[in-house]
Amino acid sequence: MKIAVCVKQVPDSETRINLAAPAAELDESGFTRVLNPYDAYAVEEAIKIKDAGEGVEVTAITIGPDTVKETLKKDCLAVGCDKAVIITDPALDGADESALATVLTAALGRDSYDLILFGIKAIDDDSGQIGIMVAEKMGLPHVSTITQLEMAEGSLTAHREIEGGKEVVTASLPAVLTCQKGLNEPRLPSLPNIMKAGMKPMETLTCADLGIEVPASLVEIKLYSPPPSRAECKLVEAEEPAAAARELARLLHEEAKVI
Amino acid sequence: MPNIAVFIEQRDGVLKKVAWQMISEARRIADASGGEVWGVFLGTDPSAAAAEAGKYGADKVFSATGEEFNQYNSEFYGTALAAFCKSAGPDILLIGSTAMGKDLGPKVAAKLECACISDAVSLKFGGTWEVRRPIFAGKCFVDVTPKSAMAVVGIRPNAFILEEKTAPAAGETFDAGTAGIDPKAVVKSIEAAGAGKIELTEAEIIVSGGRGIKGPENYELIEKLADSLGAAAGASRAIVDAGWVDYGNQVGQTGKTVGPNLYIACGISGAIQHLAGMSSSKCIVAINKDANAPIFKVADYGIVGDLFDIVPTLTDEIGKIRS
Repeated sequence: MKIAVCVKQVPDSETRINLAAPAAELDESGFTRVLNPYDAYAVEEAIKIKDAGEGVEVTAITIGPDTVKETLKKDCLAVGCDKAVIITDPALDGADESALATVLTAALGRDSYDLILFGIKAIDDDSGQIGIMVAEKMGLPHVSTITQLEMAEGSLTAHREIEGGKEVVTASLPAVLTCQKGLNEPRLPSLPNIMKAGMKPMETLTCADLGIEVPASLVEIKLYSPPPSRAECKLVEAEEPAAAARELARLLHEEAKVI
Repeated sequence: MPNIAVFIEQRDGVLKKVAWQMISEARRIADASGGEVWGVFLGTDPSAAAAEAGKYGADKVFSATGEEFNQYNSEFYGTALAAFCKSAGPDILLIGSTAMGKDLGPKVAAKLECACISDAVSLKFGGTWEVRRPIFAGKCFVDVTPKSAMAVVGIRPNAFILEEKTAPAAGETFDAGTAGIDPKAVVKSIEAAGAGKIELTEAEIIVSGGRGIKGPENYELIEKLADSLGAAAGASRAIVDAGWVDYGNQVGQTGKTVGPNLYIACGISGAIQHLAGMSSSKCIVAINKDANAPIFKVADYGIVGDLFDIVPTLTDEIGKIRS
């Protein structure tokens, strides 16, 4: 069985965006880059399947600059992925989801994977599109936002998070899944395994290597802007906490008119 | 003169409010720039969808009916919406950013090979579309423009204001093109998490708890306050990762991004990844012992104090106001 995990390196969740006024580009200096947290659930699920079965091979695939290698080594290869593929092409800078899905589809088409895993979304762009688009482009079924997975011969059953509950979905293999928090607890790499990960194969490719033209983006970024600034906080003070609570309720009802 | 199509989501025959919010906004745009507003319905009986859509300003409601639309299936729904777009030719298709919509939008866009934009909070038309959406869970916003003739745009629930109109919508049907499709992924069953649970991403009011609640047994305080308001209960990452509360309740950059009318943060200090996920809320209330907690920087109202002294009285008082 062959599993592909498509991952992205993103600024970590503690990152501050330095943007005082609208700008055409984001100042990315000082960003600490890590494996997208949702992709860690995808990696862990692939490794769990590998640990539970015989002859399972896990390939981590990413699109990004040369600096993604460290993340791939530490958070993918050192925890159990067998090899990594990096698609690095300066022409893909600023590419939209549709273009990236086309590139990943070409990369995934070089081998025949039974299972292709993604995180539900990347925590920088917050789009959550690429896994579903790749499934459509490859003509494969997908189950998005999964919180539980059981593999069977030629098929799978997954729990998919929906409003107020979950759907239990079955799909035939090969299939594409997008992984949500709650699916598993990602393991941490050990130091010896990080050292050994350097020995695992890591292939770097361009669009030309994949035999495709650089795909056109269908969405153009115009402007980044900071969130609207908020008014000063009105502190509710009183002799005792209960009085403050009553005053707060009054303000929310009569002044803010939100209750 | 853009023709704007709006997907009207139903689950078990219940129509989602985000559709009426999108139709209200589409009506405002169409009134300013010409063009029509079209509802699109998939299910068994389009009559309620057509009546409601008309109430919010839709000119027409296109429907395709069949057993295959009883339950959501991305292959049937995706094929049908793509068929609708090809035959009716809207300039833009709006889909609510719900569990269903987030699954469906990219599927339809990939079928049509057109632009796809997720989770938008504002939409402007001036010859081309300008779509604003939060990124980094709301730490900043980005304005984007689709470059393809048609675009699929996901709209965050509660981003647009409801506005009632009077004219009824005309009903039309379309061929969904789903005959002969044998889906490779199928929903076998749906398990409800609990009756009456309000979803964070759709809630108009959210009450969240953080480490200040001290232990899982005290989350009840948060739930009681939420119940008194008809609100959803949320949580900080800290107490989700500690296992006190289910991950589905997490608000923040690695949880749900929310923008309700009222967000009450109890015992939450306000880590940047939490603030990112909730700071677009219209009114924010912070209750925290630490006067220097970052949550007060985004709050409209605050009480510096122990939530155990404040939340029960607040719950009672709100109960009185609302009864």
